[in-house]
Amino acid sequence: MTGIYDLVPAIALLPLVSFVVALFAGKYLPKKGALAGIAATGGSLVLSLLVALTVATSDGANAGYNETLYTFLEGSSSAPFSLELGVLVDPLSALMLVIVSLISFLVHVFSLGYMNDEGETGLPRYYAGLGLFSFSMLAFVFASNILMAFMFFELVGLCSYLLIGFWFREAGPPSAAKKAFLVTRFGDYFFLVGVVAIFATFGTGAFAGSESFPHLAEQALHGEHAVNTFLGLGEQAWFTVIGLLVLGGVMGKSAQFPLHTWLPDAMEGPTPVSALIHAATMVAAGVFLVARMYGFYALSPTALGVIAFVGGFTALFAATMGVVKQELKQVLAYSTISQYGYMMLALGGGGYVAAVFHLTTHAVFKALLFLGAGSVIIAMHHNENMWDMGGLKDRMPVTYWTFLAGSLALAGIFPFAGFWSKDEVLYETLIHGLGESPLLLGGYTMGLLAVAFTGFYTFRMVFLTFHGKPRTEVAEDPEPVRWNVKGPLVVLGVLATTLGAINMVPIKKLTGADIDYLHQFLDYGPEAFLTNVHHYGELLENPEFAGYGAADIGTTGLLVSAALSLGLALAGAGLAYRLYNVPEPVEHTDRLGRLKTLLMHNYYQDEFQVWLATGLTVPVAKAADTFDQSIIDGVVDGISTVSRFAGRGVRRIQTGVVRNYAALLTLGLVLLVAFFGVTGGWF
Amino acid sequence: MIETQWYLLLSAAVFSIGLFGILVRESALIYLMSVELMLNAANINFVAFSLQHGNLTGQVFALFGMALAAAEVAIGLGIILVLYRNFETIDVTVPTTMRW
Amino acid sequence: MRRPRLASDLDPVPGVAALALFGVLAAVILTAGFDAPAGFEAGASVMEGIGYALFDLADQSPLVTEGFLFAFLAIAVVLDAALDGALLLARREGGDES
Repeated sequence: MTGIYDLVPAIALLPLVSFVVALFAGKYLPKKGALAGIAATGGSLVLSLLVALTVATSDGANAGYNETLYTFLEGSSSAPFSLELGVLVDPLSALMLVIVSLISFLVHVFSLGYMNDEGETGLPRYYAGLGLFSFSMLAFVFASNILMAFMFFELVGLCSYLLIGFWFREAGPPSAAKKAFLVTRFGDYFFLVGVVAIFATFGTGAFAGSESFPHLAEQALHGEHAVNTFLGLGEQAWFTVIGLLVLGGVMGKSAQFPLHTWLPDAMEGPTPVSALIHAATMVAAGVFLVARMYGFYALSPTALGVIAFVGGFTALFAATMGVVKQELKQVLAYSTISQYGYMMLALGGGGYVAAVFHLTTHAVFKALLFLGAGSVIIAMHHNENMWDMGGLKDRMPVTYWTFLAGSLALAGIFPFAGFWSKDEVLYETLIHGLGESPLLLGGYTMGLLAVAFTGFYTFRMVFLTFHGKPRTEVAEDPEPVRWNVKGPLVVLGVLATTLGAINMVPIKKLTGADIDYLHQFLDYGPEAFLTNVHHYGELLENPEFAGYGAADIGTTGLLVSAALSLGLALAGAGLAYRLYNVPEPVEHTDRLGRLKTLLMHNYYQDEFQVWLATGLTVPVAKAADTFDQSIIDGVVDGISTVSRFAGRGVRRIQTGVVRNYAALLTLGLVLLVAFFGVTGGWF
Repeated sequence: MIETQWYLLLSAAVFSIGLFGILVRESALIYLMSVELMLNAANINFVAFSLQHGNLTGQVFALFGMALAAAEVAIGLGIILVLYRNFETIDVTVPTTMRW
Repeated sequence: MRRPRLASDLDPVPGVAALALFGVLAAVILTAGFDAPAGFEAGASVMEGIGYALFDLADQSPLVTEGFLFAFLAIAVVLDAALDGALLLARREGGDES
């Protein structure tokens, strides 16, 4: 089945073809390019499944693929690295390919209902944007080196900008699109510096193999390989700096604090776009990048600590803000930020498999929740305010039950998918924290608190939207949705319920059954790639590198941790049940008073960032401008002024009086003769 | 025979006196007289070396020099006339228009 | 007419350059050693030599005097030109301002 690997570029190129078709021929097609997109992403999905199957069932070298397809800059003696485009297929990227193409396919189908049936205009542009995004994201997933990853990272940012600002004739979407682009671009600046630093330090940007930069970094720390370090730092310190630089881009894309401000505004885009880009795939790109480079991050405990702390803090921070929001998609946006915080916490805490597992389940249930919200929004004639809804569960049963499945998964209730993944995240962080890294316990605590908030806001959302009595006329008579909306919801609902089965680690630990399929899958892949889980585990536990020790808290500890997180989730859900599962709920959050204002204003982060631009950057720019005008231009002008002034002084020698000329002549002659006489020895 | 260096010293002295006149005096006629002195100093130099080398070429040159000095004075007087007509004075420090 | 007085309204400072030149020249002349002058033959008359050269009898005189002939011719031309020039310059009535 090695032939399948030659088709991997087609996984990304099919959506590119649908992009071109939608852009140029979309207005002539009956569904304005939707069918091309569905066919393309369906094809990508089939190919991705085949690739994943090949990786899972082959052994040895056939279980992966790491080839360069095109070198666009050969290395030379002065710059001994080459810039190339290549394909890397290993368990992580195969899994991500399946996730991305599946969600993309379902979103394309859903868009038939959300966009086409609602009579939206400009659809060729929409489907072209979706196709271009799918191409960029899929190519990013199988990128073989960090430069190629950066290129497609930027492309997905561009597509996000195009799609958020889809309804550009209104005031909100273009502004939100610009904000998204600029905030992620700010993080990507540090990422670019990091990419250049990687090339300058290691001479290569490859992710996998013995010539990859994580492996070279590991050898450098062992003293077996020489790398260039800069700023006079030692090797581990410099690798930490590189890791933190790349983390800038990750934090922007995955909406971690403080670069999270763009994601709630990005909800101005159409809901399928929010489901695809801002829930399941583009924001996953940051976390995926860290997982891809995990062999490099595992070498630096400082970088891992920063990741864990930022993740844990973001998880709690965003969860508190989600509690007071009134619009459906806003709650989901803050939920997304919070859940990606969990994934970062897992990665920083040494739980690689936990992070990937949570990435997978989150993609499924968050896409499900967004598509369900889209269904509700269609029904409510595009009114998102939850306080205008209510009682929809009898009127929209399919939407209700799938949305409930997604919410149970999000809150982490047993036995839905989110429970297994979130529990494993917290468990891994806990045991590594109790091991030799007590700082991780801070992140663990924040993650644990966020579980309670998550349960609360999730069920507040469910109860306000679907339960109780309808609060407006539209809620009493919602618009019906068709199969193209309900179909993807059902598929995702089933997945959200059952996906936890791929990695039920607690049951494995209790019964010894070998059912942690995801862990085994990620441990596959050719040994030569050095990207499998046990290699990362060795790096993490090596005291020369991260030095993470795993405390053994036994099965009781496991059960206690699981019970703790489940209990907190149920407590939050229970509070929401009591407050909001009444026929006519009121805004209990008003009781928070000034705290509610703070939360509604998102801790004034947006105002702070605007101030950074106008209050801090503008004066600096003005000072630099003054410096440029007066000093630099002044120096250049000054040189010419000096020469003009000197000239004006020197020309006064030419007085026009012959006597003066004669005097100068004589003087010169005397000096010359005397000089030659003295040096020639005449005297 | 008087030794050559005394002739040369005389020539240098006369030349310097002429140069002094050029540098210090302000009347154009005195200027011309000073130039004459310098030219004649050069003639003395030529003749002295003619005696030193025993070659008549030096005396020929001196003859040339004297004739040229005479011609130059003739033209110079004409120029002074034109100068006077334009500037109303023969003070050489007054005409300063040929400058910046 | 008063007797000539030393000009006292002049600024003699630029004349120092002339004195300096005299000093340098004197220093050079006095420290240069000259051989004994090779004079001309005793009793040789330059005038007679020029006369002989004028009549193409140059070998009658021990002196080489043909050079003087060219000098006389050139001087004649130059003095003639100078005279014409002086007349030209002096004649312009009202003077041109060039």
